[in-house]
Amino acid sequence: MNKATDRSLFGYNGKMLIVDLSARTSHWESIADDVLKKFIGGTGLGAYLLWKFCPPGIDALEPSNPLIFVTSPLVGSRLTTSSKFAVVTKSPLTGLIGDSLSSSFMATELKKTGCDALVIIGKSASPCLLSIDDGQVEFLAADDLLGKTTSETEDAVKQRMGHRTRVACIGPAGENLVRFASITNDGGRQAARTGPGAVMGSKNLKAIAIKGTHAVPVHDAEALNLIGDDLSERSLGPATEKYRTLGTMANLSVFNRLGTLPTRNFQQSTFEEGESVTGEAMHQTHFVKNAHCANCTIGCEKILVTTDDGKKVQGRMEYESAFALGPLVGIADSNTVIRASKLCDELGLDTISTGATLAWAMECFQKGLLDNFRDDESHEASLSFGDGDALLKGIGLIAERQGIGDLLAEGSMRAARKIGGGSEAWAMQVKGLEMPGYEPRSLKTMALGLAVSTRGACHNRSSAYEADFSDRVNRLEADDQRGRITAEGEDFSAVLDSLIWCKFLRKAFTDLYEESAEIFEKITGWPCSADDLRMAGERINNMKKLFNIREGWTREEDTLPERVFTEKLPTGIVAGVGLEREDLHMMVQGYYRARGWSEDGMIGEEKLRELGLAELSEIVHPVS
Amino acid sequence: MDPLKTKKTSKPVAIIVELFGTARIACGQHEVALELPASPTLADLASSLASACPELIGNAILDDMSGLMKSYTLNLNGTAFVSDAPGQHIELQDGDRLLLFSSQAGG
Repeated sequence: MNKATDRSLFGYNGKMLIVDLSARTSHWESIADDVLKKFIGGTGLGAYLLWKFCPPGIDALEPSNPLIFVTSPLVGSRLTTSSKFAVVTKSPLTGLIGDSLSSSFMATELKKTGCDALVIIGKSASPCLLSIDDGQVEFLAADDLLGKTTSETEDAVKQRMGHRTRVACIGPAGENLVRFASITNDGGRQAARTGPGAVMGSKNLKAIAIKGTHAVPVHDAEALNLIGDDLSERSLGPATEKYRTLGTMANLSVFNRLGTLPTRNFQQSTFEEGESVTGEAMHQTHFVKNAHCANCTIGCEKILVTTDDGKKVQGRMEYESAFALGPLVGIADSNTVIRASKLCDELGLDTISTGATLAWAMECFQKGLLDNFRDDESHEASLSFGDGDALLKGIGLIAERQGIGDLLAEGSMRAARKIGGGSEAWAMQVKGLEMPGYEPRSLKTMALGLAVSTRGACHNRSSAYEADFSDRVNRLEADDQRGRITAEGEDFSAVLDSLIWCKFLRKAFTDLYEESAEIFEKITGWPCSADDLRMAGERINNMKKLFNIREGWTREEDTLPERVFTEKLPTGIVAGVGLEREDLHMMVQGYYRARGWSEDGMIGEEKLRELGLAELSEIVHPVS
Repeated sequence: MDPLKTKKTSKPVAIIVELFGTARIACGQHEVALELPASPTLADLASSLASACPELIGNAILDDMSGLMKSYTLNLNGTAFVSDAPGQHIELQDGDRLLLFSSQAGG
């Protein structure tokens, strides 16, 4: 047992650092034990803090929108995959909760500054580098960093602040308020989905430099070490084989064969030229090495290098980036996919939303709704599917908001509303967030997960695809059991994302709830059961939904893009498969029932009391 | 073990096993043709597949060839996932295609 008997709190600092960029002030606030027990950390604690700090009804790019970085009780332990943090804010894409996860040394360093959460509000009058050194806050000028890419920014900040400094920053896309801009840390890790980089840019905050020395003790280090050793061993077993070998890139060939690979803006779910961009082919042609997050035994990230005659580019690659910048935009050239992904990382863009918004534009071009655009050298260029040069130019124009890029920087939903001409039907987004690489017509459980997710079209907050890729359900047909499956998947994911475990470790647990409850006890010293964690997962998803209800969410938003209902899949083994509107409606109603919500998806006071959220009942009623 | 001797049902069927992920890389081919009983067990299939592609032993197939490693799953013709319950038979017809890929879905 830990001998620090004068300490009453283990695994947490019990406080948050609140920084006001407008006033250039900072202060500490404690976080009640009860809040930590209820919301754990990561996206859970972040959802609670967002409700607390975000004024109702504001625009996401207003200074008062809080940008919240949250660690977790596992951060700083030696448990594998535990070096992760959440970034939570009101999303400029969806106007609802935006929660993203990133990882590596930034997480441990942030916790060592003495906080469990860093809450940034206000807007700096001039470009700012926020320095937090063991809890000491400084507001430094960042004019010299403007326009720099993410790697250039990180290098420059380290040069200035010391190489032990951990840096979170935005690229030009965040500076230019591209609504799907990312925040980058530790040499290319991204908190990207839902556009937190735009919120950081709206605050004139180019980078955050973190240094800390205060390790947070755990309650029973000896027992935790034994558990950690066993878990590390299991993390190298069959449950993670895919991630350790080909990484998530292994999905692409399988998805193509199963007819679930969105291609040419979801006009198809198979890519006839897909072989060259499969994980197997790219591994054999481009693989350099595996990369690990701090404190991770799995090493899922694959570093690939271009092999053609063009300028050599080396960068990370995973399935979502490969799908969005490959098949989704009709690109079969693996070198172009690597270049496009690296360019997004350097400019600070979410690869999924970038690819999906460009795919929407390519279809508009195909249908005569958009004209040719001029590139940065005033050459006329088209936006045709499969045109690699156009893809790379388009990415640059989005990040700089130049020419057509200014429209596309708004994301597909807003761009379609502006262009009209029926293009809303093929803006492949839910609640404003572009869809990931899972075709909903041939993955019916995932279709529901995408429709009801609180952060928009997200595969990770429910992992509903797991049921579709198993013998538990018929993936091509809808039924009323998918609501329960999706709700259970969301609660499971909320626990993973709040403790925070990497999702790639999930199959290494025999029982996530039982094992995590024991680990939580060893870390904090607080009694915790599997049922406590199950309820925490449900509570966290209700908390996220409460925030959305407060911000004006309506039942009509739990749906999918029009194309999904009106066009059958044309190719592969799923040719002729579609999704009936009534079937999605039936699944959504089943989901609401599984959640104990009303038919219109609202949360009743009884459910709030059951979850220990009665004090939040006033936000059941949305802002006007 | 000879898979053709394990089943009472009569006529063998000719099927294709499509390989994905590290199984494809290990074997150096996209698919393998097999002849199996019409209703083989996973052990029958594993044994036959291992004979055709020994590189899969310890990679996708258990060392004792009693089944697949937990890191792999099977799908029949791209539509139905095959249960990995012990002793479970797979109903096959001539021309069927079994897809062998990672059991770690998505990501």
